[in-house]
Amino acid sequence: MPASRFTQTGNYRTRYAQDQTIFATYAEQLSLIVLIGLLLLLPLILPKTMLRDVNMIMIYAVAVIGLNITTGYTGLINIGQAAFMGVGAYATALAATRLNLPFFLAIPIGGIAGALVGTFVGLPSLRLKYLYLAVATLAFQIIFEWGVGHTPLLAQGGAISLPPVQVFGVKATFFNHNFVWYYLILPVLVVMGLLWRNVLRTKHGRSLIAVRDNDRAAAAMGINPGTAKIMAFMIGSFYAGIAGGLFAYFQKAVVIEDYGLHISIQLLAMAIVGGLGSLPGSFLGPLFIVTLDRLVGNGSQWLGAQNLFPAGVDVATALRPLSFGLAIVLFLMFEPRGLANWWRLSRLYFKKWPYKF
Amino acid sequence: MDLLPQLLIAGVVIGSVYALAALGFVLIYKSSRVINFAHGQIIATGAFIAFALTQKGVNFWLAGLIAMLATFLLGMLIERVFLRRMVGEPIIAVIMVTIGLSSVIDGLIHLTPYGAGTFSFERPALLTGQGIELFGLPLSKTQIAGVLMALGLLGGFTYFFNKSTLGITMRAVADDQMAAMSVGTSVERVFALAWAAAGLTAAAAGVILGLMSGLTLGGLAGIGLKVFPVVILGGLDSVIGAIVGGMLIGILENLSAGYLDGIVPGGGTREVFPFIILIIVLLIRPYGLFGTKEIERV
Repeated sequence: MPASRFTQTGNYRTRYAQDQTIFATYAEQLSLIVLIGLLLLLPLILPKTMLRDVNMIMIYAVAVIGLNITTGYTGLINIGQAAFMGVGAYATALAATRLNLPFFLAIPIGGIAGALVGTFVGLPSLRLKYLYLAVATLAFQIIFEWGVGHTPLLAQGGAISLPPVQVFGVKATFFNHNFVWYYLILPVLVVMGLLWRNVLRTKHGRSLIAVRDNDRAAAAMGINPGTAKIMAFMIGSFYAGIAGGLFAYFQKAVVIEDYGLHISIQLLAMAIVGGLGSLPGSFLGPLFIVTLDRLVGNGSQWLGAQNLFPAGVDVATALRPLSFGLAIVLFLMFEPRGLANWWRLSRLYFKKWPYKF
Repeated sequence: MDLLPQLLIAGVVIGSVYALAALGFVLIYKSSRVINFAHGQIIATGAFIAFALTQKGVNFWLAGLIAMLATFLLGMLIERVFLRRMVGEPIIAVIMVTIGLSSVIDGLIHLTPYGAGTFSFERPALLTGQGIELFGLPLSKTQIAGVLMALGLLGGFTYFFNKSTLGITMRAVADDQMAAMSVGTSVERVFALAWAAAGLTAAAAGVILGLMSGLTLGGLAGIGLKVFPVVILGGLDSVIGAIVGGMLIGILENLSAGYLDGIVPGGGTREVFPFIILIIVLLIRPYGLFGTKEIERV
């Protein structure tokens, strides 16, 4: 136990068990509870139009945690996370429409389907490293998109609509859709986040980091890098599958465009902007990218009205990829550790206040 | 009139464009170990610069040359501004920078009037008129010229790497950067040159593709993805591999379109077959046909 129960003033740990605690002080534990409490109140004060974006951010955050597990913690570059999301979404849609399962069973089925496919796609990682693996996941992404587009069972990439959801007697309708789904997604996100935070404390989670840092050294320490890599793919794509199932229900329909290559790249960008291999980054990254996209969308509407550009130019379709690409490049050049680093520094500032370094 | 020779010839025609696109990709990977996801966008930039110039009344051949010069400089600029800072960073960072750049270039092209539409070059006088017939397959003069231009450039680069001092310098850097540096080679200059040369070949590929099948941003930038099966099959760091891989992928995708489209519901196997080949190659022979064997197994 640290000397002060509210602020951590130094490292007082004497046992490994203490080193493995999630919260250093009660104040940290309390702040998380307060944060979750505030998030529960958020939809009451937020305008309805913004609530939709918040829901998107939370769903993407689940997928980005998964991507961070494969790419951030284990170092396996994955350019196919949206395809794993898609696998989950289609499995969820099939479970909901063909088997008539309720959503709280259909979404886990999506996660399991994602994990199974992810494990299979991860198998080449036993032989391939770095960019070869990146290219393999890229190929899976393209094969997935094509495969869905040619399967009559999956409506050939067209829309499969999902039934509306009923929870505790409240039915999600056109008017309270975003509101109801906020309270369905938030607990999933919190549970998935805490779950990963806890897996990270176990030997399995730590073996992933060891493999990322140096897989030969990890092998010398008795970790089987192959098992670790397959496990990373399995867990990472499980998260993607859950996110895909949520996304399918939230969008009310599954369409292949929601799981295309550009979404995979967006998820990678979120992971990088947030900070690779960091849990807070998995929330900050989606927040940043979705907000940026929305701001640029609104801004370009205004810009488009100013008649600055020649006719036939759609300003929004131009500025969106431009700002998105610039955000990635600038972050990688000037802050490779992402927003999570800013979060860490600001925490450090308050911890040390009023004393500076 | 037989199906097989037709498919083979059509494969060689499109394969030569793939080879040219893959050549630029390989040049960059070979010298600096950077996977360039923005290559498709550089191809599109080159093609649209040439198109914009012909629209202004510039002669087609001159416009093509100017476009190649422009992407030559663009490649150099990208290397100087963005990639030089990334030396020594993790691979994921380098890959993501090029992905980010591809998005930026995409946005910039969308700011011009060429982002959304479909355009086609006005054929220069030399390329109009009746083509020839080969094994019952009518080949337009455009297609023949495209293949000849591609083969000429590919041959020129092969000669350049084997005979000229600069080419040999670039090969030396590719083989061992440390050793090359220690005998006084400027590695930075070689990186810049590799990017510039890649830009040059990209514009050529873009113009040839634009001549053969019209100009759309999606179609031109999409070549940047087709490059992956080509270079994985040929070997990521082999110029010969790019040529052979390009031709092979071109032929194989046409064969799949010819023979598999009838079997697969919905057809369109052309789009996906190269990527299935990619996965098979990765599993059997990850370094490709001509690549350096440097994969380590876990």
